[in-house]
Amino acid sequence: MAPTAQSTIDARLLAELRELIGDDGMVLRATELKVYECDGWTLEKSAPEILLRPRTTSEVSAILKLLHRRGIAYVPRGAGTGLSGGCLPLGAPVMICTSRMNRILQIDYASRRIEVESGVVNLHVTNAVKARGLIYAPDPSSQVACTIGGNIAENSGGPHTLKYGVTTNHVLGVEIVLPDGEIAELGGPAEERCGYDLVGAIVGSEGTTGIVTRATLKLTRAPAAYRTLLAIFADVENATRAVSAIIAAGIIPGAIEMMDQMIIRAVEAAFHAGLPEDAGAVLIIELDGIAAGIDGHAQKVSELVRGAGAYEVRLARDEAERATLWKARKRAFGAVGRLAPNYATQDGVVPRTRLPDILRAIIAISQRHNIRIGNVFHAGDGNIHPIVLYDERDASETQRAIEAGRDILKACVEMGGSLTGEHGIGVEKMAEMPLIFSPEDLLVMSELRRVFDPDQRANPNKVIPVPGACVEVSVPRRQVAL
Amino acid sequence: MSERDLSALARELEAIVGAAQVRAPSALEARAASIIVEPRDANEVAELVRKCEADAIALAAIGAARTLAQIRPAPVAVGISLARINRVIAYEPDDMTVIAEAGLTIGALNRLTAARGQRLPADPPGPDHTTLGALVAAAQAGPLRLSEGTVRDLLIGVRLVGHDARPIHGGGQVVKNVAGYDLMKVMVGSFGTLGIVTETTFKVRPTPERYTVAIAQFPDLAAALAAAAALHEAVPLIHLEVVSAAVADALGYEALPQVFAGVAGSAEEVAYLLTQAGAMLGSASAIIADAEAATAYEGLRDFAADDAAIVAQIAVAPAELAACLTRSGAEFRAHAGCGVAQIFTRDASNADDLGRTLAHWREIARGARGNLRVLRVNDDFHHELNFFDDPPGPALALMRRLKSTFDPRGVFNPGCFVGGL
Ligand SMILES: Cc1cc2nc3c(=O)[nH]c(=O)nc-3n(C[C@H](O)[C@H](O)[C@H](O)COP(=O)(O)OP(=O)(O)OC[C@H]3O[C@@H](n4cnc5c(N)ncnc54)[C@H](O)[C@@H]3O)c2cc1C
Repeated sequence: MAPTAQSTIDARLLAELRELIGDDGMVLRATELKVYECDGWTLEKSAPEILLRPRTTSEVSAILKLLHRRGIAYVPRGAGTGLSGGCLPLGAPVMICTSRMNRILQIDYASRRIEVESGVVNLHVTNAVKARGLIYAPDPSSQVACTIGGNIAENSGGPHTLKYGVTTNHVLGVEIVLPDGEIAELGGPAEERCGYDLVGAIVGSEGTTGIVTRATLKLTRAPAAYRTLLAIFADVENATRAVSAIIAAGIIPGAIEMMDQMIIRAVEAAFHAGLPEDAGAVLIIELDGIAAGIDGHAQKVSELVRGAGAYEVRLARDEAERATLWKARKRAFGAVGRLAPNYATQDGVVPRTRLPDILRAIIAISQRHNIRIGNVFHAGDGNIHPIVLYDERDASETQRAIEAGRDILKACVEMGGSLTGEHGIGVEKMAEMPLIFSPEDLLVMSELRRVFDPDQRANPNKVIPVPGACVEVSVPRRQVAL
Repeated sequence: MSERDLSALARELEAIVGAAQVRAPSALEARAASIIVEPRDANEVAELVRKCEADAIALAAIGAARTLAQIRPAPVAVGISLARINRVIAYEPDDMTVIAEAGLTIGALNRLTAARGQRLPADPPGPDHTTLGALVAAAQAGPLRLSEGTVRDLLIGVRLVGHDARPIHGGGQVVKNVAGYDLMKVMVGSFGTLGIVTETTFKVRPTPERYTVAIAQFPDLAAALAAAAALHEAVPLIHLEVVSAAVADALGYEALPQVFAGVAGSAEEVAYLLTQAGAMLGSASAIIADAEAATAYEGLRDFAADDAAIVAQIAVAPAELAACLTRSGAEFRAHAGCGVAQIFTRDASNADDLGRTLAHWREIARGARGNLRVLRVNDDFHHELNFFDDPPGPALALMRRLKSTFDPRGVFNPGCFVGGL
């Protein structure tokens, strides 16, 4: 791991922090801090020395100014649902959580804009505007918990980003507190910016450019009609072929999600959603838009998936059936807990025509490492989420799980894909970055980061492998931590 | 640079890329660059960058030179034309992605993808003059931005030559990708000030089966803008353009404010949407389809107010646009629903007039939490104004750091972007 400025939190600093945000804004006790020792990526754990919970932008600014003077690094945190270890403190003793900055500030229905604080939960945005026929389109499966700040940091996606785009396509402006405490307002309600697109550079920067305190988001017209199909296949191969068939026909559904047999069974055991347990794989395909013509599209999709080998296609008859299907899908990760004590979710991407190839590769990798791997993912985007099951008490199995995960990512890259579609690099995939980026690319990225954070105190030791360590890909840092 | 220095420089450049690749600029190009070089590949671009950095010579990538000729107060020494770097590297219709070199035009790309019923739905004026590199650099959009977004939403990968002649790439060829920082966003709208883009990867989209336009004219602007707002609220359109009387006239319609509501999709969808739009627009509306609709669309897309004294683009929260346009008193072509319009005036007899007009427009944009960018100005005045708004202090400070990080020697199209960057 990279050496970092390890300042201790001394009594004077504590007193100054208390002055700034009061006792109720600070968590100091080790037992309470243990809650914050990891996010949704649990392979590594490390609690912060102190957790701060500011309520306003000026409090964030005052805290960061103080840390800047003292040269102390910090980690931003939203809801802690991240899946790549973005919230793991690595050489950063202070964690700053946005949970108390959760107000919706302003809604402009006619312009389809909403301004929120960064701690607002994703689903609460849609809930605030849906009575007026609007939604906030990015819908990560974790949307009941994850925050807009976390979504911005990870450039999060979700099932419906196939048609509507990911977070970056919906964020027009941010207020960010830079690591030196300076407050910058970037972008705004207008679609065009003046000067460089710094908002675009901040989205997806995984908390390494500062703390986003507010955001101006685009709202989207809620579709007037949905047709949600469950296409049932004997195996994953045919299911993934069906995805290509739909896209190649020029149809862009709102979502195409895939679940394989292992996941279907886990979901059934947990929620009894009525999924076919004997199926090899299912696709949830959702068409949305205006009511006119939607049945024609559903018919076409139905024919296409049958042509690709679906042996049954069910159409959700009403909103309740549709909701059941989506609940099953969005809670699939939760159900996986039944299958093994631990799991790690990968997030590779392949060109969608290569889905059959990557699924075949995953099966081979699973066999080679003797590790169980389930699949539930955003098929329409080519964004796979192999869920690698293991038991952390079994050192050998844990090791094989890590290796299987790495092999999957390598296979994605060999097929012209990427390491991560929506979960971010975090600490998890840093070591793999040189698989897709040259030393020059990585250098430029670290230079870009330093534009915002010259002394690298904002979420340090994330995203970009430390120079010099690039060559040591064969010794991933996370192995050391196990 | 003196004539003599320029011809010496031309000879040095010839030594790098060969004599056939170095030429004098055309009349338009001459306002952007003194010598034009046409490298054949990214390696030659890198050699040119290395040379210019070593000798502290300003250079700029040049497409059709339309934008650069405007925004540059004085030409750079070396204009890098990407005309020969224009291959399609990989078109994957079933993945709906295309990798193409930056010198290819949008028009040429779309003729290729049309065979598979797809298109790059970025539609600034003049697709046959707009190279992909210029599309990225100037980030101009057109009517389709309402439904398809802008180049910012479509660019998924980029290769550029940066400082130290470094070959840099960001993104990839998959439609969803969060590995590393988003260099695409950094490059979009950077006006060539951070490096030379040599290759781009885009998402392409299916071309709708049918496309039809409902056109309605109104006695006054307020009525046209109100109708557009109501339409936007109620009907999902592919574009929603509102033009002032002078623009309608220039496009060959009656000289009254006009609304052009585009609908697209299957026959059934189009029929339904037209009924809805038609009902809202009332009896004043005409429906045009097929070739006629395509021609109307091209007219709208390519409208550039060539005879105006000054043309600017205003961008505000969509609901504020109507009030801003009314206050500005300008003629305009508006992307209603997006809060963006090109506004212009034909009467400005001197630089003072023009300065006052521009100051007025800027104040209107700022008052609506938006911004203004000058797109074009009459030759007589063109040296004397700022084409870009100045961003607020902390934002500009970050932009200065970004520029000096990407271009420490200050050679990439210097001195014409925000804050003099
Ligand atoms: C069951 C489950 C399902 C999921 N499904 C999806 C999915 O469908 N699509 C998807 O994209 N992701 C998904 N995720 C991943 C995760 O929910 C997203 O990455 C989410 O955006 C994280 O939000 P958070 O508030 O929990 O952020 P955290 O986990 O708290 O933080 C994530 C990163 O953001 C930084 N950060 C947080 N707040 C700020 C801020 N205000 N300013 C600057 N940086 C900040 C942190 O430092 C960290 O690096 C899923 C996770 C789970 C557990």
